[in-house]
Amino acid sequence: MLTKIPRWNLALFLIIIAEIIVFGMMNPRFWNITILLNSFNDFIAVAIIGFFVTLVVITGGIDISGVSIIGLTSVVTGLLSQVVGLNIWVSIICAILIGGLCGLFNGVLIAYGRVQAMVITLGGMLLYSGIAIVLVGVSGVSTYEGISGFSESFSKIANGEVMGIPSAVIFFFSMFFIAYILLHRTRYGRYIYLTGINQNTAEYSGIDTKKIITSTYVLSGLSAGIAGVVLTSYLGSARSDYGAEYLMPILTVVVLGGTLITGGKGGVVGTALASIILGFLQIGLQMAGVSTQYIGLATGVLLIVSVAFLGINPDFRLNVKRIITPKQNIGG
Amino acid sequence: MIKQREFRTLLFLILLFVVVGFINTDYVSLQNIDKSLKSSLVYIVLAIGMTFVLLTGNLDISIGGTLGLSAAVCGTILRDGGTIFLAVFTAILIGACIGLINGFGVVKLKISSFIMTLAMLSITRVVQVIYTDGKWVENIPANIKELSTIDIFGMNLFSLIVIVGVLIVQVYLSKSSKGRYFTAIGDNADGAISLGIPVKRYSTYSFVISGICASIAGLIFVSQIGFVSSNAGTGIELTVIAACVLGGVSLMGGIGTVIGAALGAVILTSINSALVFMKVPAFWNDTISGSLLIIIVVIDSLLAFRANRKAKKVRLNARVLQKEA
Repeated sequence: MLTKIPRWNLALFLIIIAEIIVFGMMNPRFWNITILLNSFNDFIAVAIIGFFVTLVVITGGIDISGVSIIGLTSVVTGLLSQVVGLNIWVSIICAILIGGLCGLFNGVLIAYGRVQAMVITLGGMLLYSGIAIVLVGVSGVSTYEGISGFSESFSKIANGEVMGIPSAVIFFFSMFFIAYILLHRTRYGRYIYLTGINQNTAEYSGIDTKKIITSTYVLSGLSAGIAGVVLTSYLGSARSDYGAEYLMPILTVVVLGGTLITGGKGGVVGTALASIILGFLQIGLQMAGVSTQYIGLATGVLLIVSVAFLGINPDFRLNVKRIITPKQNIGG
Repeated sequence: MIKQREFRTLLFLILLFVVVGFINTDYVSLQNIDKSLKSSLVYIVLAIGMTFVLLTGNLDISIGGTLGLSAAVCGTILRDGGTIFLAVFTAILIGACIGLINGFGVVKLKISSFIMTLAMLSITRVVQVIYTDGKWVENIPANIKELSTIDIFGMNLFSLIVIVGVLIVQVYLSKSSKGRYFTAIGDNADGAISLGIPVKRYSTYSFVISGICASIAGLIFVSQIGFVSSNAGTGIELTVIAACVLGGVSLMGGIGTVIGAALGAVILTSINSALVFMKVPAFWNDTISGSLLIIIVVIDSLLAFRANRKAKKVRLNARVLQKEA
C-alpha cells in the first residue's frame, strides 16, 4: 500500500525526469552527464542546509539563520587560516563548530526560553551576519574582495573529484545519507517526529523534547557551517555576504519536498529530490537562454503551487473523492 | 501602567535617548528627534499594516517587495508627468491587489502565510525588475521631493499625518467592534468562528491593509529619497517584524497594539542614528539590533511565563480556599 509521502516523492521524481527531457530538448547540452553532475555545485549549499532544516521543521520549528551562518563560517575560516595563520584544517573545524554553537544558541533560547523559533532565528540571522561583518571590519580586510589566497588543498575540497565524480555530488549524497539515517533509521528520528506531532504527548511519554528540539537546531547550524566551508572552497575567497540570497531556496526545497511547515510530517528524501528539481530548474532555464531575473519568478510560483497542492483543504479533497468514487460507497 | 508593554517600550526609547544624550548632547536636540521620527516614517507605516496581519496570527514577508514595486511604478508615473492623485491611486491599487492574492492563498488555499508571502516577495521583486528593466527610476520632479519637507507648526507634514493615522488606527482596533475582530481572530480562531465573526473575510482584509500600507510607504520612500533603486526595500520586512516584536506585538497573534509597533519602529531606526552619534562604526549595526531583538524577546517571554504561572497559582489558591470555607 502506497502511503502519502512516497507518492509525493514519486511525483517529485517524475518532475526531475520531465525536467531532464524538456530542458534537454531545448538545449542538448543538458543531456551531458558531466554538466549535470557539475551543476550540483550551484545548489550544494542549499541542499546541505535543507536536509537539516527539514529536521527542524519536522519538530514544528523553523530556522532561517542558516543563511547568515554560511557567511560567518566563511569569514571565520578565512580569518583563522589567512590572518591568524592557523592550519587550514584546524580552522575549518573551528568554523564548523562555531556554526554549531550558533545553532546551540538558537536552540537553547527556543526550547528552554520558550520563544517562537521564527523570532529567535530572525534575530540570529541579523546577529550572525552582523558578527561576520564586524569580524571583517575589525580585521581590516576589504569587505568587497574578501579574504583570498587559500591553499591548493583547500580549493580541492569543493572543486576536486573522486573517481570522476565531482566532490559536490559526494557531499550531497553523504550529507543526505547522514540526515536520512538520523531521521528515518534511529530512535532519535522517531522522537523528532513525535515532538512535531504533539510536543505535550511526547513529553508525557518520557521524551526530553527540549533536548530533541535543541539538537535539531545544533545539527542545522553545523550543516550551515559545512555549507559555508564548501562554498568558500568552491568560490576561492571568504566573504561575509555568502548565502544571503539562499533563504528562499532553502525553504522552497524543504516545503516542496513534502515537509509540513506545521511539523510532524515529512522527510529528507523529498528534500533531496526537491533540491535537485530546483537546481536543474535554474541551470536548465539558464541553458535555455532565459535571463536570470525570471528564475526567481519560476521558483516563487513553484513554491506557491507546491504548497497549495499539499495543503489543499481536506474538505475539498473529500468532495473530489466523493465525486470520483462510485455511488454505492456513500451512505452504505 | 508599568505592566503595559507599550509603556515599557516607551521607557526603553527614552532611556536610549538619555544614555546616548550623555555621550553626545547633540542627540537629544529637538532637531535630531524630529529627524529620527522622519527617517522612521516608512517603517512606522509598514509596521501599522504588519500589526493587522500579526494580530490575526499570520505573517507578511512580502511588504518589502510591495514597497519596491509600488515605489517603482509611482516613481515612473510621477517622472512621466502624472499627477500625485494618480500615483496615490495606483499605489493603493497595487497594494490591495498583492494583499488580495496573499489573502486568497492563505485563507482559501490554506498555504502557511510565511511561505505564501515569501513566494510573493520573490515574485514582486522579479516583476519590479521586469517593469523597470533593471534600471533605477530617476529624474523624479523636485516638487515631489519638496512635499516631504513641508512643515506645519514646526512639525513635518508627513510625520503629523502618520502620528494621527497611528492614533486613529489604534482607536479603531481597540474601541470599535469591527476593529476588535482582528485581535479576536488571532487570540482564538475557533472561538471567533463560534462568535459569528467572519474570520476568513477579516484575515483577507488584514493582508489587503498590509499591502496598502506597504504601497503608501513606497510613496513616502519616493518622496523622501527622490529615486528608486532596483533593490529598494530589500530586507526591510525583517526589520519591520523586529520592530513589531520590540513593540510587544506577539507573532502568535492576538496581542499587541499599533502604538507599540510604531514605537518599536522608532527604536530600531534610532539605534542606527544613535550609533552614528556615538561614533560606532556602521558595521556594528546588525550585531547590535540582532542582539537587542533577542534579549528583549527572551526577557519578555520569561516575564510572561512567570506572570502566567503566578496567575495560575493565585487561581488555584482561590479555589482551595473556597472549598475550605
